[in-house]
Amino acid sequence: MQATRLYFSSRGVLAVLLLICAGCARAGDVAPRALQIQQNWQLQPGSEIAGHRILGGLGDVSIAPSGGKVYAPFDGKVEPHRDDCVVFSSPEVPAYLLRLCGVRRPKLGQVRQGEAIASAKSLQFAALRRQPDGKWAMVEPSTDVLERTLN
Amino acid sequence: MNQRPPRKRKPRRKVKYLLAGGSMLAIVGVLVDLRNVFQPPTAQDVCQEIVQSQSVLSRDELSRLLNVPERDSKTAVREIVSEPYCTLPDVEIREGVTAEREAYPLAFDPQTWFVVLYEGEEYAGYSFVFQQ
Repeated sequence: MQATRLYFSSRGVLAVLLLICAGCARAGDVAPRALQIQQNWQLQPGSEIAGHRILGGLGDVSIAPSGGKVYAPFDGKVEPHRDDCVVFSSPEVPAYLLRLCGVRRPKLGQVRQGEAIASAKSLQFAALRRQPDGKWAMVEPSTDVLERTLN
Repeated sequence: MNQRPPRKRKPRRKVKYLLAGGSMLAIVGVLVDLRNVFQPPTAQDVCQEIVQSQSVLSRDELSRLLNVPERDSKTAVREIVSEPYCTLPDVEIREGVTAEREAYPLAFDPQTWFVVLYEGEEYAGYSFVFQQ
């Protein structure tokens, strides 16, 4: 009886692991997005000073989302960036990217407008505009795009 | 009065049901990607107003457009292409700056649309929208 129970519980654990791995494989499909930002400030989200991690730098808007969730402002794509940052882009909105840092459990890949794409207690939001040299310049985000991302 | 003792469910059977249900869920989870079930909207869905229903972008026009640098004038783009197929709703990404968007289907690949964004009289950039 003991052996049977052990056998079934090990199969159960295996099934759960398989499910988790299937999810991991889908998330892992999305390659990290590299960004060359025009304003080459020394302190960026993820930098460290004397062992203390920098959450946001110049150009980031720090927000405490009241619902703890971050939403896709348009139909688009979520790509991993670095550390706890992701990049959101939409073919419907050429020439712009959004960098979202401080996010947890991001939903990577194609997303629909209004879909929850991550959780965040302290969101560092940066709007980036494409420059002729291929770099991305930080710009002041509109309240409209912020509202779309938070509601 | 005879009272039957309560029937004991065999725990083994319960585990079997749990495993069967779990396995089915696992199969569904592996085989079905809900992101493919709910298809994204097509480019036509995002149009706000049809401007010129016959408008398409030729290969030559596209290659010339791709050489227009960002920050060039809207006129520089307008010299290459005629009226768009449609306009998308205005959007504001940068505070205080309203962006206009226009879409053109590619003549050689109508499933792909070229979307161009202007801010005032300035050309800001482009992207391709692929219809499913």
